[in-house]
Amino acid sequence: MSNHVSEWLNAYYDGELKGARLHQVEEHLAACEACQAEFESLQGLSALLQEAPTAQFISNERFVSQVNLRLPQRRVSATRQKLFEVGWWMAPVGLLMIWIFISTTIFISDMVSAANKFGLLDDAAPLLVSDSSAGMWTSTLRQFGLLEGEGLQWAERIEIYTRNVLPQFVWQVSIAMLYLTWIAISWVRQRRQGQVPLLES
Amino acid sequence: MVTVSTANEAQLVTQAQNGDRNAFSELVRLHAQGVLNVIYRMCGDVQLAEDAAQETFIRAWQNLSSYRPQTSLRNWLYRIAVNAGTDMLRKEKRIVPDAIEDLHLSDGQPGLESLLLQQERTVSVQKAILSLPDASRAVLVLREYEGLSYQEISSTLDIPLGSVMSRLSYARSLLKAKLEPQLSLLEAEHV
Repeated sequence: MSNHVSEWLNAYYDGELKGARLHQVEEHLAACEACQAEFESLQGLSALLQEAPTAQFISNERFVSQVNLRLPQRRVSATRQKLFEVGWWMAPVGLLMIWIFISTTIFISDMVSAANKFGLLDDAAPLLVSDSSAGMWTSTLRQFGLLEGEGLQWAERIEIYTRNVLPQFVWQVSIAMLYLTWIAISWVRQRRQGQVPLLES
Repeated sequence: MVTVSTANEAQLVTQAQNGDRNAFSELVRLHAQGVLNVIYRMCGDVQLAEDAAQETFIRAWQNLSSYRPQTSLRNWLYRIAVNAGTDMLRKEKRIVPDAIEDLHLSDGQPGLESLLLQQERTVSVQKAILSLPDASRAVLVLREYEGLSYQEISSTLDIPLGSVMSRLSYARSLLKAKLEPQLSLLEAEHV
């Protein structure tokens, strides 16, 4: 019958029910013989389980001595462990600082190039801006007459792209990958710590 | 049972985490009985329980740095104990003591029959507990013998509260079925 309280009887027996559910089970038990019998069978089972005596183990002192003898002599000291932990949690901060440094460098470089284009740097221009339009290998290709016209223009565009944009992309992806790896390892470590020590092989 | 204040225990844990073996020995002394009981109830063999309990404390020593002081040390040790006991049981494949056979032949003493019956019941109970699936057995032992609340069992075994309820209910219904004759006998004795 659906209005029986069988599914809550264990929790009721263990004193784990509260509020309305407790009231519901109590009321039902007072009126239902089937559930009463089930509840009594739980009491009987507990009595039977408790009847089984505990064993006589070796004395506490001897047990402690035996454990002491088997304890490994050397273990990673807590200080070293703490230092490692600090280093571990500082890793993403380090990555963030590297990312900020690279982004700032690229931003300043872009700003200087833009200022140069608008002629704002005057005499300082040669000191601050390298001629990125003159690609090394496209110049070589031009010198040897291997490329000319539209083909040469495309080669120059590709070289400028690979020299300016690609490194930025590679940096960002590398840092993102390192950060994701750190998150993954942290997650695994936390799961392991939560699950408690496994046997060392 | 040995008792110790939480502050004192926390201090011992800190010292042990810093490599103090004496402090760790004190922790072993405080929790040995509980750990031995949990494992014994799970495997029904004294020798195996002692071996697994030693293993428990060795694992605890090796991993003490991962223990978080804001959680219960006893429950943390119980969790290691449950794992160590289960591992040991699988490795040894040792089943319940057969003390009952030793008692069968020497009869003729008054009260021996009831003693024998009780021994028989004890062995049946241990066998029935041992026949439970590992997950349900651990929940049952922690609840019935150690008196842990559902919430404590949930955090000790790192399982949801719902799983604690369902595993306990499953374990009890299996035991009721397996121990039906013993339950009837016990009921008849108490009537």
